[in-house]
Formats: sequence, structure tokens, C-alpha cells
Amino acid sequence: MFKQFLDQATGNQFYLLSSLAIFMLFFIVVGIMLITMKKDEVKYMSELPLKDDIK
Amino acid sequence: MTEKFYYDNKIVRNFAIATIVWGIVGMTVGLLIAMQLFKPALNMGSQYTTFGRIRPLHTNAVIFAFVGNAIFMGVYYSLQRLLKARMYSDVLSKIHFWGWQLIIIATAITLPLGLTTSHEYAEMEWPIDIAITVIWVVFGINMFGTIIKRREQHMYVAIWFYIATFVTVAVLHIVNSIQLPISAFKSYYLYAGVQDALVQWWYGHNAVAFFLTTPYLGMMYYFLPKMAQRPVYSYKLSILHFWSLIFIYIWAGPHHLLYTSLPGWAQSLGVAFSIMLIAPSWGGMINGLLTLRGAWDKVREDPTLKFMVVGITAYGMATFEGPMLALKQINAIAHYTDWIVAHVHVGALGWNGFLTFGILYWLIPRIYRTTLYSKKLAAFHFWIGTLGIIFYAVPLYFAGFTQGLMWKEFTQEGMLRYPNFLETVIQIIPMYMLRALGGALYLTGVIVMTYNLIKTVATGKLWANEPAEAMPLAKDYKPQGSDRKLHRVLERKPMVFLVLSLIVILIGGMIEMMPTFTIKSNVPTISSVKPYSPLELQGRDVYIREGCVNCHSQMIRPFRSETERYGEYSKAGEFVYDHPFLWGSKRTGPDLQREGGKYGNVWHFNHMLDPQTMSPGSIMPPYEWLITQTLDTTTTISKINAMRTLGVPYELGYEHKANKDLDEQAKEIAADLQKNNVKVKSDKEIIALIAYLQRLGTDIKAK
Repeated sequence: MFKQFLDQATGNQFYLLSSLAIFMLFFIVVGIMLITMKKDEVKYMSELPLKDDIK
Repeated sequence: MTEKFYYDNKIVRNFAIATIVWGIVGMTVGLLIAMQLFKPALNMGSQYTTFGRIRPLHTNAVIFAFVGNAIFMGVYYSLQRLLKARMYSDVLSKIHFWGWQLIIIATAITLPLGLTTSHEYAEMEWPIDIAITVIWVVFGINMFGTIIKRREQHMYVAIWFYIATFVTVAVLHIVNSIQLPISAFKSYYLYAGVQDALVQWWYGHNAVAFFLTTPYLGMMYYFLPKMAQRPVYSYKLSILHFWSLIFIYIWAGPHHLLYTSLPGWAQSLGVAFSIMLIAPSWGGMINGLLTLRGAWDKVREDPTLKFMVVGITAYGMATFEGPMLALKQINAIAHYTDWIVAHVHVGALGWNGFLTFGILYWLIPRIYRTTLYSKKLAAFHFWIGTLGIIFYAVPLYFAGFTQGLMWKEFTQEGMLRYPNFLETVIQIIPMYMLRALGGALYLTGVIVMTYNLIKTVATGKLWANEPAEAMPLAKDYKPQGSDRKLHRVLERKPMVFLVLSLIVILIGGMIEMMPTFTIKSNVPTISSVKPYSPLELQGRDVYIREGCVNCHSQMIRPFRSETERYGEYSKAGEFVYDHPFLWGSKRTGPDLQREGGKYGNVWHFNHMLDPQTMSPGSIMPPYEWLITQTLDTTTTISKINAMRTLGVPYELGYEHKANKDLDEQAKEIAADLQKNNVKVKSDKEIIALIAYLQRLGTDIKAK
């Protein structure tokens, strides 16, 4: 199956590889963003829906 | 010092009423068309209630009227509270509400009249498209205005989902609605054939993503913690869920076009990203279900949480099944069958329906400052609704497997075991009956809910302006110790967030669409493929008006089982003059791509007059009005002109000769029918439709 897929991809690698590269880059950025988040900020944000009960 | 303000609950109530009313209407139409599939006479002999015309009415009613109003209900309730601000403008809220209802009414009138573009889930003609754009912008101004004047520093993740919904739906709707109007309610898409198919399914798939999924995920992230009285399981996971979902979803559209004439590389990208989509989808589902950790005892008692749990589970099931269906090997069997219909309805009935019901049961008593009239009735609704989903989906899965396999089965001698398509339809009719039972059970539950909510409302009084107070937002941003610059930019500046979301969703669409539109080798032209004759063009518009595309595909996939049954497989170059493409997505009847010349004119005439006489047991409704209605040839000139503008090579000035050619071809067909003892005037619509059907696939048909 994979061999067949690679055969069919001939000539179109540019689209497939550039898509993969964009995908990887995007997730590295999102990953860094998540790692840099601090616990107290996460806690504050996650409790926002519950806070709106307070008048 | 705190500021006092009021939440607008009236607009939330209005959208809630609209959700319920349109939900009942849309589902009733759904039940009617489900029953027409085993009893065609239920079209009541009227063209305005025949399957092809009212199936789009059902899909648009449940998507844009039921789900659409539910989205606005949820957004208007949660946005105000998460931002600690009343909606930006009460006037805009009212324009949004009434504008949206008028759009729904216009759609409900025009679709049964046959005024349709034929693009699935976007059948409304161009004036309604413009109205949708205007009202969507009104919604956007109201939403961003509220975000800008908020009192809460941070934007909770639910709002991220709402922003992505707004921006993506706007892009999808505009790109998919680029049409050339030729009259008040008739237009042609700018794109043709393969390109039109790619745009339609980029839109169609992402309408599911950004109308049926992302706003509901936003609502899940708000209402589920409220109902369970505990924060979301993992806020970090919700952020990952958000960015990965909006990034990946937009690429997956081509999985609707596997094995078609779409370039192979686009199909491969669609498959790859569809598989990847499991990760964010299940991340969201797990995040939702784990929010209930330690609160499962509440699920036992609280009907609203029951709806939420089954709704989120249905989301998980549908988002696992979707990528599986995108695998080429599975798609080869499932595509065009009722398997897809079952898949869609697990998501629609389970995820959208149950989440909506859960939110309604939770929200209505609160804005009416009362308690739910009957928890027992709500529990009854839950169980009958769940049973309805099971009775709906399981028979259709069975029907899909059965028909998909029957289409592909060969005898030992290498012949199709079921060469007559009708055999494969008759086999699954009992499943259609069970499916209708499932739909009836589900609708019964909604009616019970309506009664329960009316009684609830009767015991309370609308809290139209709910008082609240909060500290004003400081003009100078004070970092809260842990705030990172990136988060600060994202959450402080909604327009930056909007632009970022826009870039993320545009990447996938552009990479897939630009080459298909700009590189000629992706759509090889075929010299023998010629424009339609004027009569065929008019016949094609009759085909579009009657919604034939809802049951018949025009796309033969390169499988032996299909080429044996229908003829040579479809080539991209065959569709270059097809504005719009009519490939279809479901084969309730056989493919028609090579229908031309397969039967005589008289066969088509008799088949349209009474399908059962030519195909005993057929579930196709009769189209006798085509025999009495006169073809409107006053539009021929504008149609030829429009097609030429779109790139179809009609000679300059041909528009003035077109009706003469049309008459000649019509008279030839009428004379042929006369020879076979059928008397019909040459100016009737049936003649044009026959001309179109006889042309189909003949440009390259192997002799």
C-alpha cells in the first residue's frame, strides 16, 4: 500500500512535502506556546466560565 | 470600583424559540423525505414536495435554521458572561435575529420552488447568499464589538472557537457563492467541473467543521463546566485542540472526492489530513468527558448532563468514523451509499441535537428564573432520542454495507451479480422503513421537550435584563505575573486573533485549490468535449431545478464494478463546461454519467411520467408536470451569454440563433416520440430534459 502511495505521489512530492513542513512548523509553534504557559494562568483561564456566576 | 450592567437574555430567548420551531420543521421535513424513500406517493403528487426539491430544504433547515439558531443562542448567552459585558448593540442583535429568520423563510419558499444552485448545503440562490453575508457581518460586528468593550482581560477558549467560526464561515460562504446571476433567482457558478467540485467540498466539509463543530465545541467548553460545576479538565489541551483542529480541518475536504477526476495529489492530501484529524477531535472529546471526572454521579440524576455525555460521545464516534471513511479502501465501498447518511446523522442527531437539547434544558429555566417543569419528561426525551439515533443509524449502516457490497459483487464468470441497480435498492427498503421509525422517535422526543419547556416557561418570567457587575477593564494592561507576550497579544487583541485564525484556515485551502485552478495539467482538456446545445443547457437547468443530483451521481469511479455497470470512467476534461458540476454524493438511483444513448427517448418519457412502469419497484417519484409545463426559452439568450462569460466557447452572436437550434432539436425529439405513439408538444420541459439526459457522457463514450 505504501509503495503504491509513493509511486502515485511521483511528481507531486512538492505539495505533499511542503504541506508536511507547514504542519510540523505550525505544531512546533503551538507546542512552544503551550509549554510556556504557567500553571496559575491556566488555572485562571479554566475557571472563567465558573466565575461569571459571581455578581 | 465595579460597574453595573445587564445581560440581554431576551435575544437568547428569541434564538432559543427559533431553534425549537425550526428544529421541528426541519426534522418533520426530514421524516417526510425518509418516508418517501419507501413510499414515493408521499410526495402528494406535487412538485413542491418531491424528494429532489425538499431534501435540500431538510438539510438547510436543520443546519442553518435549527443548528444556526442554537449557535446564536449559545454564543449570545456565553459571550456576554465570559466577557462580563452586554452585547455590543441591542439593535444589531435584533437585526441579526430577524434577518436570520427572514433568510430561513426565503430559503423555505425558494427551495421547494426549485430555485437552487445545486451546491450541497448551499443551495440558496444569490440574493439569499448576499443576505446571509450581510447578516453574518452584523453578527460579527456585534460579537467583536462585545469583545472590544469587555470587562474581562482574557478571552476564554470558547470565544476562540466562536471567532474561528465567524471568520471561516465568512470565507467559506463567500468563496462558495461566487456566481454569475442571470435573473433574480438563477445564477451559474464561476467554477466548472473539477474546480467547482473542489470548491463545493472544501465548503461542504468545512461547513461541517466550522458550523456544526467549532461553535459547538465553544459551547461545550462553556456549558459543560457550568453544568458540572467544575473547570474544564485541561485548559492546555483545549488550546491544542483549538489550533490543531482549525489548522487540520480545512485540508480534509477532498476526501469527499476520492477516486473522482480530482487530481490525485489533492486526494492524497485530503486523506492524510483526515487521518490526522482524529487527534484533535478525540483530544476535544476526551477533554469534554474528563471534565465530568468526579461528577459522574450528577450524570445519573441530571438529564442535561446525560444529553451532554451522549452528545460528546457521538462527536467522538463520528470523528473516528470520518477519518476511517476517508481511507480510500473504505471509501471505495462506503461512498454514494447510506453509510455516509448514517455517519452524518450520528454527528447531527447525537452531537448537534443532543448538545442543543442539553443546553436548552439548562438555559431556559435560568433565564426564566424557575426550575425545569419535569425532569421525568426530560429523561423520557433523552431515552427516546437515544433510541431514535440507534434506530436511525444502525439500519442505514446495514443498508450502506449491503448496497456497497452488492454493487461490487461479481459472479464466478466475471459478470456483475446484481447488474440491475434496482435490485440493490429493493434489498434495503426495509432499512429505510426502520430509519424513518428512528427519525419519528427522535422527533417525538423533540416535541416532548417543546411541551416541557413551554410548561417551564409558564411557571417563570423572562429575566430580560439580568443584572451583573464587574470591574472595568484597565486601560493599561497589567500582566498577571505569568502572562507571556504571545498570549497577551492573542487574548488582548481580538482582531489580531481573527487575522491569525484566518491565516491558519487559509493555508490548507490555498495549497489545495490554487494549483487546481492555475495549473492546466491538473484538468486535461478533451477536444471532443463540446458545449451543451441550447436545449441541453435548458434541460440541464430542469435537472438542477428538480434536484436530480440528490439521488443520481454523474461520476463513474475507475473500478471494474463501476465501468461494467455504467461505462467508461469519468475524466476531468469531460466537465469543463459544467457550471455547476453535478457529480452528486449519493446514489439512491444509478449513476447517469453515461446515460446518453443508453435508452430511447420514449423510455425516458415513460420513465419520467411513471418510473414504476419502466422499472417495477423503483422508488423514484413521477415527474408528470414536466410533460405539461412549457419550457421557458426567454432565458436562453442570457444563459448562453452567461456561459460565454464563464469561458464556454459559444460563438459571438450565437445567443440570437440559439432558440432556433433549440426548436429544431426539440422537434426532432418530439417527432421521435411521436413515432413511438407518444404525443407531446416540442416546447415542453420533458423534451429539454430528455435532450440533456441523451447527451450525458456521449462526448467520449466508447462506441
